[in-house]
Amino acid sequence: MRKISVVLFICLFYAFSMMAQNPVRISIKGIVQDTSSGVLGGATVMLLQPKDSALVNFSRANDKGSFEFRNVKNANYILKISYVGYIPHQQLVSPSANEVLDLGNIGIKPITKELLEVVVKTARAPLTIKGDTIEYDARAFKVPQGSSVEDLLRRLPGMEVDAQGNIKAQGKDIKKVLVDGKTFFGDDPKAATKNLGAETISKVQVFNDKSEQAKLTGVDDGKKEKAINLELKDEFKKGSFGKITGAVGSSSRMALRGNYNRFNKKEQFSILGYGNNINETGVNWSDYGEFKGNNSFNNNDNGDFGFGGNRWWSGDNDVVTNNFDGRGFTNNGGGGVNYNFDNKKTKVSTSYFYNQTRLMLDQYQTKKTFLQDNSFTTTDTTNQNNFRGNHSIGSRFEQMVDSNNTVIAKVNLRFSTNNISTLQYQRNLSETNVLRTSSDIKNGSDVSSFNLTSNVIYRHKFKKKGRTFALSGGYNVNNSDGTENLSSTSTFLNAGTISQQVRALGQLNNNANRQNLLKGSALYLEPLSKRMYWESFYNVSTDNREVGRDAFNSKLENQRMDSLSTYYKNNITYNRLGTSMRYSHAGVNVTVGLAALRFDLDGKLFPRKDAQVASSISKNYNAVTPYIGADIELKSNTYLSFNYNLNIEAPQIADLQPVINNNNPFFLSTGNPDLNPEKSHSISSYFYKFDPATFMNINFWVDYNYFLSQVVYNQTVDPTTFITRTRPENLSGGERFNTGVYAGFPIVKTKLTVNFNSNINLSTNPTFINGVLNQNDTQGYTFRLGFSLTPSDKLIVSANGKLGFSTIKYTISEAQNQNIKNNSLDASVKWNFAKKTFLETNLDYTNYRNDRFNFNQDIPILNCSVRRLFLKENKLEVRLAAFDIFNKRQSIIQRGFQNTVTNQTALTLARYFMLSLTYNMKGHVDKLKKNQGWM
Amino acid sequence: MKKVIIIIAIFLVSIATHAQQEGIVSYTRTTYWTKLNSTLPYLSKQEKEKQAYMFGGRDDWKEYTLLYFNEKESRYTHSEEKSDESEGYAWRKEEYNIRRNFEKNTMNDAMEMLGKVYIVEDSLPTPNWKILNDIKDVAGHICMKAMIQDTVKKQKIIAWFAQDIPINAGPERLYGLPGLILELDINDGAVIIEATKIENKKLTTEFDLPKKQKGKKINDLAFQDMLRKFIQEKIKEERNPYWTIRY
Repeated sequence: MRKISVVLFICLFYAFSMMAQNPVRISIKGIVQDTSSGVLGGATVMLLQPKDSALVNFSRANDKGSFEFRNVKNANYILKISYVGYIPHQQLVSPSANEVLDLGNIGIKPITKELLEVVVKTARAPLTIKGDTIEYDARAFKVPQGSSVEDLLRRLPGMEVDAQGNIKAQGKDIKKVLVDGKTFFGDDPKAATKNLGAETISKVQVFNDKSEQAKLTGVDDGKKEKAINLELKDEFKKGSFGKITGAVGSSSRMALRGNYNRFNKKEQFSILGYGNNINETGVNWSDYGEFKGNNSFNNNDNGDFGFGGNRWWSGDNDVVTNNFDGRGFTNNGGGGVNYNFDNKKTKVSTSYFYNQTRLMLDQYQTKKTFLQDNSFTTTDTTNQNNFRGNHSIGSRFEQMVDSNNTVIAKVNLRFSTNNISTLQYQRNLSETNVLRTSSDIKNGSDVSSFNLTSNVIYRHKFKKKGRTFALSGGYNVNNSDGTENLSSTSTFLNAGTISQQVRALGQLNNNANRQNLLKGSALYLEPLSKRMYWESFYNVSTDNREVGRDAFNSKLENQRMDSLSTYYKNNITYNRLGTSMRYSHAGVNVTVGLAALRFDLDGKLFPRKDAQVASSISKNYNAVTPYIGADIELKSNTYLSFNYNLNIEAPQIADLQPVINNNNPFFLSTGNPDLNPEKSHSISSYFYKFDPATFMNINFWVDYNYFLSQVVYNQTVDPTTFITRTRPENLSGGERFNTGVYAGFPIVKTKLTVNFNSNINLSTNPTFINGVLNQNDTQGYTFRLGFSLTPSDKLIVSANGKLGFSTIKYTISEAQNQNIKNNSLDASVKWNFAKKTFLETNLDYTNYRNDRFNFNQDIPILNCSVRRLFLKENKLEVRLAAFDIFNKRQSIIQRGFQNTVTNQTALTLARYFMLSLTYNMKGHVDKLKKNQGWM
Repeated sequence: MKKVIIIIAIFLVSIATHAQQEGIVSYTRTTYWTKLNSTLPYLSKQEKEKQAYMFGGRDDWKEYTLLYFNEKESRYTHSEEKSDESEGYAWRKEEYNIRRNFEKNTMNDAMEMLGKVYIVEDSLPTPNWKILNDIKDVAGHICMKAMIQDTVKKQKIIAWFAQDIPINAGPERLYGLPGLILELDINDGAVIIEATKIENKKLTTEFDLPKKQKGKKINDLAFQDMLRKFIQEKIKEERNPYWTIRY
């Protein structure tokens, strides 16, 4: 007990004596003055913790310059005083013995006028001191254009540079100059300072570096050497990335592809190349995006202003990206370079790309054609060899003249060659499968074409916010020259005389087509109020086309065949003037507009080039088209849109030519100079809802088109020879309806998700067959259900099931209605089964079925690959892959149209094995990606 | 007599300073998506480089915000202003009203998150600011630099506060510096909020709460907890949480 009281006493005594010495809480006060003793009322006074500058308390000096912190902990502080126009003052405050710590008068220094100007004008701090590093902001010290870093260093306070370029900082020699923390061309400190331009530097840091000795031995000898680090401006920071893949496989399959990109903040340069015989006709979207760099998203500025249609992309993506349709074997090669420059005000992009594809196609097709009281079957065995090559040159220039004026100019050029040689054996069989006619066709064509698209867009923003004006002009050229060599021998088995039984055709066509399109657009946007906008636009274009064909009979000493030759000049002038009102507020954007348009069509037909006009047509077409558009964003991530449009489209030029196309002697088509524009009502609607908490999303859409006037190909079929002649004519009553839903939601958070989608396509296509109206109704339904399971970071499993069926009805012959089924099952596994080693496999099982044809085909495709990453940063990937292990791949297409149903099968690349090596400069990812893209 | 003059003088001064201490700051809030995305831990080096390569220089998204302030209170919310690129189209703005009362030391922050409106009602804790040495000019005011760490969103936030506007308010949910915050830089420029205009103006009903404030009431700790959980979950799923929540 005594012991305890003693301890207690000592404790109490100690506490009291502590209190007596240093109070726990104190007041700190003082008076802020400038160096000439004037008081500074309103100065900000802060108490910071010395260890990390954390703000503990702050106060403001009163109008007499005095401040007081009451009841603060008695501890070490940094007292910081800031006042406009004065250098921030700092002083250490130690624990006080008294309850009131009076710091007395604190004098703070004014910032010199020059320095203040630097701060205000450049909006940057010119000098920062961090530990023993002094950092100068290079941008605050002006040097003449073209100066070296040496000249810059001469301007920095505390730095000296002598005539030989030796540098001293705070009186000490600089032994080392680093650039972005790395040594620059050896150890000579002058290498960097004499050779680098001052404009490339953002910061100059002077610091104490350990001596070389200390670095070598690891023992800090306490010797410090002054060193400089030059930090480069971001735009002078360089980077590069790229990868290269080489692959060899069984049955002499091979592939090579690579890309390399170099960039700094202003410039981007890339090269891309590929070559293969594994049906990759181009690069994938992701690689193409990498190739185009920051120019990837500039394709939609084509300058066609105003609502409705006309908003096509004019990019060259379709040529360079992989567009293999699943049929045949291809050999492919291509490569290009791209350069982009972007300094915010000026953007320049140019690219060149060459690509070529040789397609070897073997295809078998059965087509059944229904007539009113009859039907026949056409079978085709086709062997085609097709070569296409393109040189594409693209450039784009964008200049921000000032903050209110922008100009964009674009030019794309393409030179293409296309050679096709076709061997085709065609047979026509009667309803009872009796061979009626057969034909051996051997066609060849050789076409070279030139294509130019160019446009200029100017945009002006007025002083009044939201008021804008834009003007655009464009010039496009499409020229093609080519020869066609048609030859065929047809046998008509039930013809009366022997001379009629066999017909031989030998024809040589020289084709020359020219198209020049000149267009212009203007747009004016006026904000009537904060919520109402008034938009007006005008579009004009004149499209001049010249189509020339000289046909010669190669069986009759190349005599000109006048009936099959043509020379045709055609001009379509298009004018559209439109206006619309828009309400835009808080997520509701509704536009209602009206446009008046006029087509002037002018056609002249000549017997041959440089001859007198044989006949001419001249017609015009006027229309008023309404437009309604609504985009509505509702609460809780719900989005709704609605569009109504009256579409008017001028007829295709080929459809206006009154000349026979006889490439296939059993299928002859002729143009129709009296054709009117196509006119349709178009309604579309879209609904989207997203729950950000679960990532559940639902998309629903409906599109409907009703044709007031549709260009359809009416047919006249000879009932005995089955020769079909088609001619385009206008017809009303065609309809298209499409609706779909997509939904995705998680069942087990982060582990299992389900997605579902369904599509319904209904269409009605009227055509006249031998003068009788046939209505073809097509109904297509697809349902798909998919699961994605991620049990761990090392395994991703997904499975999809799809049911697809369509019915095709023909009013002309209802007994022939078709049911086509395509069902498929698809499963894939990605498994990171060992360190840096991955197994990827997928099975795609599809069944194609049409009972009426007794057609039932299963196509199971199994792919499997194992890959492993090697080297530092996983730069090398080695992959062993097996494609189509069951050797079953072929292309099957089933479709019904007008009065026909077609079944087409084509051979394509089936089973092969491949070993590939990919070297990636930046290394491969050594884990499985859960989501594609950057979401 | 002398005393009276002094009193009058003090009164005038206080009016003068009072007039200066009430008004509206207009901010431009710019999100640089490639910088924001590059803070995501699940993206590989190459993916980050690729998106910077493809979108760099044209990845900025501008929004406009307002801060109503006086000595006692502040409210930070959306502005009606539309960007030049919008061509006048107006998208829905989610509920975002950050109300601060420095006299009563309370917050009333109405924020929409994941499709729901939450009203965070709590007292104002003292934020852990660090004061740094640099000064610079923002919208005509010399500002000092301060730094704070957001541990939930893992952000390093740099604030520039005016030496000559003794108001403790600031944009977003930040406050508690000796001067009005005129610029914020979140995570090395992923989001930059910069004052463009400071208007001295007598305010009337700007700070009033709506008669019926809709939303789920919650305290700040619970709100931060919800944020933390959501961010962790999305990062695990390798999805960008900041598509749906404010950075």
